[in-house]
Amino acid sequence: MDRKEENPEPVEQAAAPGRLARIGAWFDLRLRISDQIWPELAHHVPRSSASFWYVFGSATLLCFMVQLVTGMCLGLVYSPSAAESWASLEYLNYQQPLGWFMRSLHYWGSNFMVALMTIHVVQVFLFGAYKYPRELTWVVGCFLFLLTLAMAFTGQVMRFDQDAYWGLGIGASIAGRFPFVGGIVVDLMLGGPIIGAPTLSRFFTLHVFLVPALLLLLIAVHLWLVLKVGINEWPMPGRLVTRERYLEEYHQLVAEDGEPFVPNGVQKDLVFSGLVMVALVSCAAVLGPAGPNGPPDPTLIDTVPRPDFWFLSLFAVFALLPAYLETPLILIAPPILFLLAALLPFYSGTGEKSWKVRPGAWILVVTVFVCLGTLTWLGIRSPWSPDMAAWSGTPTPVAMVRGRTPLELQGALIVQSKQCRTCHSLGGEGGERGPALDDVATRLTQDQLIHQVLQGGGNMPAYGKNLSPAQVKALVAFLGTMHPPGQLPARDASRVASSAAPVAGVSGGR
Amino acid sequence: MMRRNWRGAGRSVVCLALLWLGACADLPGRPDEADRPIRPNDVKSVDVLYGQNCAGCHGAEGRLGAARPLADPLYWAIVNDAEVQGVVARGVAGTAMPAFALSEGGTLSDAQIAILSDGLRTRWSGPDSAAPGLPTWAIQPGQNGKRGRVDQGAQVFASRCAVCHGGKGEGGIAPGSLVDASYLSLVSDQALRSAVLFGRTDLGMPDFRGGSGEKPLSPDEIADLVAWMASHRVAYPGRPYNESDAAGVGEDGP
Repeated sequence: MDRKEENPEPVEQAAAPGRLARIGAWFDLRLRISDQIWPELAHHVPRSSASFWYVFGSATLLCFMVQLVTGMCLGLVYSPSAAESWASLEYLNYQQPLGWFMRSLHYWGSNFMVALMTIHVVQVFLFGAYKYPRELTWVVGCFLFLLTLAMAFTGQVMRFDQDAYWGLGIGASIAGRFPFVGGIVVDLMLGGPIIGAPTLSRFFTLHVFLVPALLLLLIAVHLWLVLKVGINEWPMPGRLVTRERYLEEYHQLVAEDGEPFVPNGVQKDLVFSGLVMVALVSCAAVLGPAGPNGPPDPTLIDTVPRPDFWFLSLFAVFALLPAYLETPLILIAPPILFLLAALLPFYSGTGEKSWKVRPGAWILVVTVFVCLGTLTWLGIRSPWSPDMAAWSGTPTPVAMVRGRTPLELQGALIVQSKQCRTCHSLGGEGGERGPALDDVATRLTQDQLIHQVLQGGGNMPAYGKNLSPAQVKALVAFLGTMHPPGQLPARDASRVASSAAPVAGVSGGR
Repeated sequence: MMRRNWRGAGRSVVCLALLWLGACADLPGRPDEADRPIRPNDVKSVDVLYGQNCAGCHGAEGRLGAARPLADPLYWAIVNDAEVQGVVARGVAGTAMPAFALSEGGTLSDAQIAILSDGLRTRWSGPDSAAPGLPTWAIQPGQNGKRGRVDQGAQVFASRCAVCHGGKGEGGIAPGSLVDASYLSLVSDQALRSAVLFGRTDLGMPDFRGGSGEKPLSPDEIADLVAWMASHRVAYPGRPYNESDAAGVGEDGP
């Protein structure tokens, strides 16, 4: 507990009254604000809570304020109409002086806000700060978490580009799954059955009025609770929380080993907030704003939409779910998980606070982050997405062209022109839905290749009706060459045995 | 005193930061005009159009792809703009070359096809373009009053091609049969003619002018060669096993 340190610096008012101070005093004499606020700000907090572990909440608040300011600036230029929004984003990026920087700050501000909020939640959880008597703070915080994610999603829609358009489509499809009321929810959300002119207005209202208003309200409640109930003391193993004695113990602690929140407690918050600001401005200046990518036009099918970073794990879950799990996992699991999280202090509201003696808490946090991290990584790679541009844009590897017969070269052309590479890669390029074809000849004999191409199987569609016999023969001849130089292709032992002559269809030995 | 100094330092930091922001034309995060998204049909860059639509089959550098190399001055000397644009727009029936024009179900506008054809011609034309007396690209049925002659073609093949392709076209130094029924069914006569005219210089096969010291093939000889190769076409190509092999195994369906 020797993190705490004495702070000998005197309170600010000691300085000689400058002009600013005199103006402030003039107003305060009439408004009488400092009488109200100063006692609150100077209220005593446990000395142990003035730690760098306790700075993430205030940093999240800072990000929210950055979002308010930059959001208002963007609102001066942004046009929330489906026809003009994309052009206004382009205007911000390329014409408006520093418009790109404002967009960049707003984008990185949102990323920082979600990240810091997540760290804040984890810290509160591991430090047992949600326990008695801070249950309501935790519940309000859970709703703040949801609202912040809602801001992130609606903000992604404000960047009305192809990602936003198709992301909305996913959102509407999820909403449409609600039994009985699905259609009504979709109508409410999109302003009609499909994404149209009213859609963006609705999301603009959500992003700019409704959700921020709720956020402001709940942040006020959250801060009020922090002020009134007091900051959680540094958890000590063995110091159990009981409903009977906790308040008494806390007051005693603050009285014996407390210090005023301003200026002592707030110092580390200010330092960290300053660092966050520097990091935020640097990210905005160096990495720049996100998008907008292509215009939100559903006729432009040559697009690879991806959600923003925080939704990549969901994107992966939606892509990988088996069909029978879709409705349960998309509609039923999230509310249950949210309830479990929000009601945490009501079934675990007393007892040990310290993470040192709560291994379950650690295991839960690590499990959740390993899962989210893995899913996010999968979402970034998204190997399930077909590579729609590979057929005409990704050349056949030169090594697979050299030394091939005319028929095999025709087969290589069929791999391209019949779009096999949408799902199958050659030389590491192409889709990853199906297996790479680089060594397919070592796995399948000629007959098996023909069977696989004609009848499909294992998630591959049948191409029997889309390929002529000659095309199949050329394709299989080419695929038959796909084996490492030192490794023979797979051969049908029965054919070798039943025929004195070597199997001519297998082009081995090259 | 101390406090005043700190304030002064703070002010200069803020001023510097503002100056830096003001002069931020070069900040790395500033969006680059070059990355500005454009609609697919507004793309006018030959590099992008070729890379997205042609490189898959014709090779990243216009050579060593599965399909005919385009980085070939002789090709651009013989094939005119209308022919190139027709091939790109409507594809080539009977081959793997698809149609790219919007009107044919493709993705390229006529203007983009013209940009491609002009751009590739500029990029890959060579001194050959000035050479006189080159044969035409298109097959002309009435050329010299007669179609290609199969028996003449066999003789031309034996004297000019068999060295690499084997006496009957079954393959030799150059791997694989030229008269395989499946191969022949996947290429048009026009494609066979292109193969004779332009060869596959990227893979070592010379064009119709042959190797050094050889006499170029005459237009008649080219037509005859194509006729001889085309005469090997069969009614039902694509049987899973070769004829000889199928006879040995005796399980081959029609």
